[in-house]
This record gives sequence, structure tokens and C-alpha cells, in this order.
Amino acid sequence: MIALRGIPSVEGMQITPTDLGLIARVVSLGKQYGTGAGAVTALEDVSIGLRRGEFTAIMGPSGSGKSTLMHIMAGLDSPTSGRVWVGDTDVTELSDSALTLLRRRRVGFVFQSFNLVPTLDVRGNIMLPFELDGRRPATEEQAWIDGLVDSLGLASRIRHRPHELSGGQQQRVAIARALATRPDLVFADEPTGNLDSRTGREVLALLAEASSRYGQSIAMVTHDPVAASHADRILYLADGRIVRDSGRSTPEEISTYMLAMEQAA
Amino acid sequence: MTRLRDQGPTLLVATLAAAFGAALLQVTGILAVVIEDSGAAESGTVRLLLGLVAGVFIVIAVYVSAVVTANTVATVVAGRTRLIALYRLIGSSARAQRTTIAKEGLLVGIAGAILGGVLGSAVAWAAGEIGVLQGSLPRFEHSLLDPAVLLPMAAVVVTTWLAAWAGSRHVLAVRPSQALGNSAEADLETVSRRTGRAVAAWILGIVGFALLALGVVVGLFRPEGVLIGLLGGILSFTAIVLAAHRVMPPVLRAVGRAFGDGPVARLAAENAVRHPERSARMTIGLVIGVTLVTTFAVTMESYRTMVLAATADRAELQDALGPVIDATVAVFSILIGFSAVIAAVGLVNTLSISILQRTRELGLLRALGFDRRQVRAMVVLEAAALAIAATLTGLVLGVAYGWVGAQSILGSVGGGPGIVAPTIPWPIIAIVVGAAILLTLVASVAPMRRAARVSPVVALAVQ
Ligand SMILES: Nc1ncnc2c1ncn2[C@@H]1O[C@H](COP(=O)(O)OP(=O)(O)OP(=O)(O)O)[C@@H](O)[C@H]1O
Ligand SMILES: [Mg+2]
Repeated sequence: MIALRGIPSVEGMQITPTDLGLIARVVSLGKQYGTGAGAVTALEDVSIGLRRGEFTAIMGPSGSGKSTLMHIMAGLDSPTSGRVWVGDTDVTELSDSALTLLRRRRVGFVFQSFNLVPTLDVRGNIMLPFELDGRRPATEEQAWIDGLVDSLGLASRIRHRPHELSGGQQQRVAIARALATRPDLVFADEPTGNLDSRTGREVLALLAEASSRYGQSIAMVTHDPVAASHADRILYLADGRIVRDSGRSTPEEISTYMLAMEQAA
Repeated sequence: MTRLRDQGPTLLVATLAAAFGAALLQVTGILAVVIEDSGAAESGTVRLLLGLVAGVFIVIAVYVSAVVTANTVATVVAGRTRLIALYRLIGSSARAQRTTIAKEGLLVGIAGAILGGVLGSAVAWAAGEIGVLQGSLPRFEHSLLDPAVLLPMAAVVVTTWLAAWAGSRHVLAVRPSQALGNSAEADLETVSRRTGRAVAAWILGIVGFALLALGVVVGLFRPEGVLIGLLGGILSFTAIVLAAHRVMPPVLRAVGRAFGDGPVARLAAENAVRHPERSARMTIGLVIGVTLVTTFAVTMESYRTMVLAATADRAELQDALGPVIDATVAVFSILIGFSAVIAAVGLVNTLSISILQRTRELGLLRALGFDRRQVRAMVVLEAAALAIAATLTGLVLGVAYGWVGAQSILGSVGGGPGIVAPTIPWPIIAIVVGAAILLTLVASVAPMRRAARVSPVVALAVQ
């Protein structure tokens, strides 16, 4: 399912990512920073597809290209070579304003830190994607958002500013915002990186639940084997290449593989 | 050590102030020589008077530039809380960091004073030469090596140094722990509570406004009332400057509300008030500038109206007085307007710095779906909110002070107590408003470009 380069393509008929049950797909992706002697190859010939409704973890040593891959898939950065689809949209061909719309409507983000707009309260942050779109949430969307706010335990904090919240609360607000528009895909780059392990687990459980209960597609970068064990699928990156693609694993299996990878390096 | 790094803005302000002082004194010197050459009887008195007037305007310009510099330094320091905290964390003392900043201020002050001294003298010399060539001035002998020019230069050095010292006081309030934690924004301003300042502001305010009222009352009988009013004006205005972090946010909020409530307008309005201290810092220089210009213009205009009314039946006197008053108003307006220009430079600087400090936030907005146009619009609206709020406040204060001035000088003129209606000099108000619009545009161009260029990825890289 992973080696997409081998996909048969019938003459005159493009197979779309959707036909393959994919929510995002990259083919022969390469990313280089800089040129000449100082050039860094962050990604090399990466081809993967993320399946709709799945919670995918991306692991790998520091500097292996995880963040770069995620940024490119989300349309935040452009690749040096290869192509990227979100749904059936070829992201590599989009203009800046089309990319902006894509980010606004079809993907959600949770970063390691600094996720929230400091001047807006919790409600303002969660509603920002709608406001940017110049629309109010429809009744059912509002119900969904209220449900999110409740289940994330933010109801009593709705009027607070980010600096009045703990790190864990801030991440929960970020998750609520990422899920609010029910985007095709949520990207999370080390969402628990700044949290203590208990708070981190809670945040992970929330992401896992969004995926299992509501079929939200999620791609999450992490260093933490326990975090990755919540995922349906784990992709391992090393030196800018995909080196392993495995299904749900226990933290022990993941640690063992990560250790082996580090020793091999 | 904590460096100010980009010293351009402070250097520019110091240079402008020094150039203004030098030019003004040189011109005064030239005029004095010309008048002496013409053999006028009271040349000594004229020289003294000219020097006095020049001195007043130089003091105002240096004062405004000191306020602006202190605020610029404070803005830089506030944006570096984390870095300062990091240095503190690894063992640097707050005092050492502050000393470095003050020392930089001293160096910049010296550089600005020298640059400005040379520049101002050159301008004065050129003006003199042109005057002679055009025949509006007689040939004169005057050396530009006037030791008096050293005075404003020295004042600029000292005030820039002190302003950097005063502006960096927040360094002392930074706690090492602020380097840690992932709070969205280390909030420096709420750390330092200053009850002393509030008390001072209240006392100065009450005494100041009482003196203003007294000045008006005394002015009904004797023109000396204006001196009491002047003292009241200085005290009450100082109170307003001290309490700017309380006075400005409501004004900014009201202005922001007028922008509507789209996400862009709302964020811009919120940005303009998010830190009361910061918005006060950004706007107070301009408030001072606009207040000075307006006060002065209203007083002069009321005076002119009064004189013209009093001499209504003597046309030949009016013909003689009219041009003199007009020329005086024009010259004084330009002189005081220069301080407003320095204040405007301050607003431009602090806005650029504060946008620069928000790179990450802008990146976040871009990641969440703000397009470039919206980011640009946000910056322009923020600049507009600041400039409009400062201008409005300055105009209101200026008209009030100007009326007190006119009332206390002229209340007793014409034989008995009378109420002088303030005459609003509309052309000058129009110029001030036009300048504020221009300022908004100028202030937002560079930050707007920079903000729109911010890539979501660069901004979100965890530092
Ligand atoms: N803007 C950049 N300019 C130059 N090189 C870069 C840039 N961004 C990333 N790199 C390089 O690309 C490679 C991959 O970086 P990336 O941030 O994707 O790693 P990562 O797997 O997310 O690491 P970590 O786990 O430490 O976050 C690294 O070698 C990094 O130095
Ligand atoms: Mg990374």
C-alpha cells in the first residue's frame, strides 16, 4: 500500500488519491535547503500516502526530516522536487492565496508551542478559522464546537487569554481549533513536546479519540514511543527517507526499533 | 550581553534633535549679527530675546526626543524579555545588562550629537548664504564655530544616555524563569507594579488642573494669570504622560471599535491595546507633539482674533500688525512642528520594532489561513489606530490647553473680565490630521512588507 510509485495507471485515466482511500499523498518528494557546498538534503525521494480516517505517527531521529515533511504536506513549504496532494488537490501547483484557503479550510495544525494568538481569548482562537473565512459556524458546526470545548474541559476557560492557561490547556485549545472546522487532515508536530508526561498522555488520548470516534485523519510527528503507540500506523524517517512503515505497535516495539535505528546510524 | 543591536532609530532621533538645536542657534547667531550690523539701538536685548526663544524650542525638541528614545529602548527591551531572562538564567546580572544598554545609548548620543551639530550648522550656513544671494539678508560676518552650538549637542548626549538608562529599567524586572516555560508571551509589563507612579500622577494632576483653573480666574483680572496657567499646564500634562498607560488604551479601544469587527480589524485593534504600557509608549511621543502644536496654534489664533477685534476701527494698525502676527505664527508653528516630527519618527520606530518582534505570531496567523493581504491590512490598521488615537488625544488636549492659555492672557484685556472663545485654527488642525494620515502610511510601509513576507514555516520553527 505504501510503494505508490508502483501504482498502475491506466492510459488516459488518472487515479486520484481519493480512489486509493488516501487523504494526502506525496510522490518522489525531495527537499533541499540551500545550494552548493552548504546544501542540506532534508528529504529524498519520499513517497507515502496517508489513509483517510487514520491516525499516523511519524517518527525518526532529530534532523531526519519529519517537520520538513509535515510542512510540505500541509502546504506551508514547497518541495524541491516531487508532488503533493491533499485530498485530490495538487498542492504543489497552488498559488499563495489558494494555499492560504487550503490551510484555512482543509487542514488543521497543532504545533509544539506558540499555537495561539495571544490577543484572542480561548473562544476567539477556536473560532478564528471561521472568522477568517468570514462566516459564522452553522448550527451543527456550533454544536460540534461546543461539544469539543466541553469534552476538552475548556468550558470554564472560554474567556481566558492564552497566557492565563497552562501549557496543557493551551494545547487543548489548539486541538479544539484544529478540529473545529473538521478539516480533511490535522497535522501535529510534537504536540506533547512541551508537556509533562501525564498532560501529554491526555492530549494524545484526545487526538486518538478524534480519530477513532469521529474518523478524523491525523498526522503527528513525535519522539515519544508511548505517543506513537496511540497511532494506527507509524512511519519511520531516517536521513530524509522512509525506512519503515508499520501498523499499530506497542511502546516497547517502537523503542526497540528506534534504538536499533540510532545504533545503526 | 543584551544589545540594542539596531541603533538606527535612536541615532536618527538624536541626530534630528541635535541638528535642530544647532541650526536654530546658528540662525539666531546670524540674525543677531545682522541686526547688530544694522545698528539697531536695542540689539543687545534682541539678541537675548532671540536666544531665549531658540532655547525654549530646543528644550522642547530635546525633551520630546528623550521621551521618544526612552520609549524606543523600552520597546526593544520588552521584546527581548526571553533573551534577557536567558542571560540572567546563565548568571549575568541584571545591572550589568542594563549598564550595557545605557553605554550604547551614550555612544549613540555622541554620534547623533556630532552628526546633528554638523548637519544643523551646514543647514544654517546654507540658509544664510541663500538669504544673502537673494538679497533678503545683507552681507554679514559670522563664524559657524559658535561655542553655543555645543550646548544642544551636549544636551542630546546626556538625554540620550539618560533616556536609554530610563528606558532599560524593565531589564531589572525580568526574572530568569521567564526564559523557561512555553507561555504564549512572557508578559513583562504586568510584572512591574508602580504605585509610586500612580500617586505622582494623581498629585500632579490635581495640583496641575487646580492651577489651570486658578490661572483662568486670575487671568480674568490680570494677564499674569497665564504664568499660573503655564505651571498648571506643565504639571497636569506631566500627569497625563505618567498615566498614559491608563489614558491611551480607552482611546485606542474606541478608535479600534470604529474599524468594525472583521477578524483583521479586531486583531489590529487588540494588538494596539494588548499591552497598555506598550501602547502608551508608542503613542505618548506623538500625543506630546500634537498637543504642543495645537496648544500653541489655538493660543496664537485666539490672540490674533483678539488683536484684530481690538483694532477693528484702526485699519492702518491692523495692516501693520497683521503680517507680523502671521509671520510669528508661521515661524513658531514650524519650530514646534519639528518636535512633532521627532515624535512621529518615534511612532514609526516603535511600530516597526513591535512588528519585528511578532514574527512568530504573524507566521501562526499565516499558517491558520490569513492571506498576505489580510496581514498587510492588519498592520496598516494597527498603525492607523495608534496614529489616530494619539492625534485625537493631542488635539483635544491642545484645544483645551490653548483655550486656557488664551483665556488667561486675554481675559482681562479690553477693560474687564471677559470670556474668550477659543479660536480653532482650522488650517493647522487640517495639517495635523493630514500629517497623521501620512504618518500612518509611512509607519506601516516597512512593517507591512516585512509582515507579509513572513513565511509560516520560518516563524513556527521552535527556537
Ligand atoms: N530552514 C532550513 N535551512 C537549512 N536547513 C534546514 C532548514 N530547516 C531544516 N533544515 C535541515 O533539514 C533537516 C531536517 O530538518 P527537520 O526540521 O525536518 O528535522 P526533524 O526531523 O523535524 O528534527 P527534530 O526531531 O529535531 O525536530 C535537518 O538537517 C535540518 O538541519
Ligand atoms: Mg521537528
